[in-house]
Amino acid sequence: MTNSVIEIENLTKDYGEGRGIFGIDLQIRKGEMLGFAGTNGSGKTTTIRHIMGFLRPTSGSVKVDGKESWTHSSEIVKRIGYVPGEIAFPDLSTGTEFLKSQAEFLNVSNMNYAEYLIEKLQLDPRAPLKRMSKGMKQKTAIVAALMANPDIILLDEPTTGLDPLMRDAFLEIINNEHKNGKTIFMSSHMFGELETTCDRVALISNGKIADVADMNVIRNRTEHEYKIEFNNEADYLKFKQSGYAVVRDQPQYMQLTVSVSNDETSELFKSLKGKNVKFITEAVYNLEKHFKNVLHEEKENSNNVQ
Amino acid sequence: MFNIEVEHLTKDYGSGRGVFDVSFSVGKGEVFGFLGPNGAGKSTTIRHLMGFSKPQSGSTRIFGKETFERYNEILGNVGYIPGEIALPAGLTGWEFIRMMQNLQKCKNDKRLDELLTLFDLNPEGETKRMSLGVKRKLAVVTAFMSDPEVLILDEPTSGLDPVMQEVFVEFIKNEKERGKTILLSSHIFSEVDATCDRIAIIKDGKIVSDFVADDLKHATRKRYELDFSDLASCEKFVGEAQKSNILKIVERGENNSKITVETEDKYINGVIEMLSAYPVRGFGHKKETLEDYFMSYYKEDKEFGGALQ
Repeated sequence: MTNSVIEIENLTKDYGEGRGIFGIDLQIRKGEMLGFAGTNGSGKTTTIRHIMGFLRPTSGSVKVDGKESWTHSSEIVKRIGYVPGEIAFPDLSTGTEFLKSQAEFLNVSNMNYAEYLIEKLQLDPRAPLKRMSKGMKQKTAIVAALMANPDIILLDEPTTGLDPLMRDAFLEIINNEHKNGKTIFMSSHMFGELETTCDRVALISNGKIADVADMNVIRNRTEHEYKIEFNNEADYLKFKQSGYAVVRDQPQYMQLTVSVSNDETSELFKSLKGKNVKFITEAVYNLEKHFKNVLHEEKENSNNVQ
Repeated sequence: MFNIEVEHLTKDYGSGRGVFDVSFSVGKGEVFGFLGPNGAGKSTTIRHLMGFSKPQSGSTRIFGKETFERYNEILGNVGYIPGEIALPAGLTGWEFIRMMQNLQKCKNDKRLDELLTLFDLNPEGETKRMSLGVKRKLAVVTAFMSDPEVLILDEPTSGLDPVMQEVFVEFIKNEKERGKTILLSSHIFSEVDATCDRIAIIKDGKIVSDFVADDLKHATRKRYELDFSDLASCEKFVGEAQKSNILKIVERGENNSKITVETEDKYINGVIEMLSAYPVRGFGHKKETLEDYFMSYYKEDKEFGGALQ
């Protein structure tokens, strides 16, 4: 795994009473965008703070470019563009002042990229930091994190609190960074945004990695589930017997959910032709569904063990 | 009588910022969605309703009482979740809950226990060590624990995971059944979609749209993505579709055999018949969401270039 930019090996931070993270293994490859999902309190922020070198592992290790995070923290904080989940600004008057002090800290002299980001996010940084809304603080933090054009970007719930327009603008910026070969690690509760941006998405549950999903596999599934409701019972019954794999049957609505592979699509329309259909919708297989299945199976397995 | 009333509320902060002539009301057993981009005036309106700010003109009333003048008569029966959570320093979760119970002059530990279980919250430990999501849960539980009649919720689930968002949506539906009056401001369209009876959109301090949510929920218009087995079939279908009045083509892939069509449920049988004559290898349904609808209201363009000079 020499081309891994971030290597997390067997990382454990035990806060006692089952809280913490346990035996986390994650490799983030150069140029990859890895998403990070999980319930509140499952360990996302703890993991991210270890990468920044803010926390010392109980055991295991985190390396960024081959260097131990904890012992190289002062170097790493300058190398990684980091947007924390909870933003605490230093005691400065305006956003502009904060961004300038950040530029100095990061030795950034050319502010063109910062200006571009400000324009893109429609941020007015001249506002007093104390009076900024959550969304404005978030935007200011994003500009501060990205203005030095870092190769590695670490984002802890960066879109929480942003309105949908701003979320789109932000995701466009991140997509561009990704296209330009940046290595990105982003946590989020919005499965939709992880789906459209990430190459892979890791799921953490109770401090352990439960699954790492390859988005290409999820996006390019060849099986689809369609929910079809009929206007009369005869057609509903006839269709039910035409051999499609029935996932769900709701006779009270004359509704069938069937699983159909891509090469059966034409066949499906031929079978439906002449029948009186009320509507067709698709139950899309997405990341949310995938992770629900993973957690469900995990639960069943642990029940079986007991 | 409406439990929540906002009438011609105006607060001008200068340079076009503020709220201008905002009016709406929310009745018992109703969930009112209050939507808009960041900075449009949602929190300003809500802060007036909470009696934190005095209107320049117009009025805000809860239970028929002016909120700025008579907030101490009202607030005991109003549950409030602020958009940004700032907890007092140096308290444990339990201490915060007990402090809020004193302020609310209500100690209903049975309901408190139910809420702690429902939202899976353990309030032990210092609040400053709690993650964003856990702090949010604490705000949710404290807002509801005195079982108030009016609920004012400003981005209540921001930072909650999807499982908790679902729990929250079910909880709100239940509170509505119990006759509560609820104002909900949110960026998460799915929860607005699932709970709200009426929706208003605010932009640049003004209400730009106010409508009944059901109109949108039962939209019978649908978009489907089609992928044909070969380019020639796709071309042929496009030709046929252009002559047809039961569907229209809204998007066409470049150099591939994919198209997106829009149709109405009542035409679906005709569409199936058309498609059954073509080799199709992919068929997907693109959900038309509230989000698509709202985005057109949200769009705006402001100049902030050169701010760092």
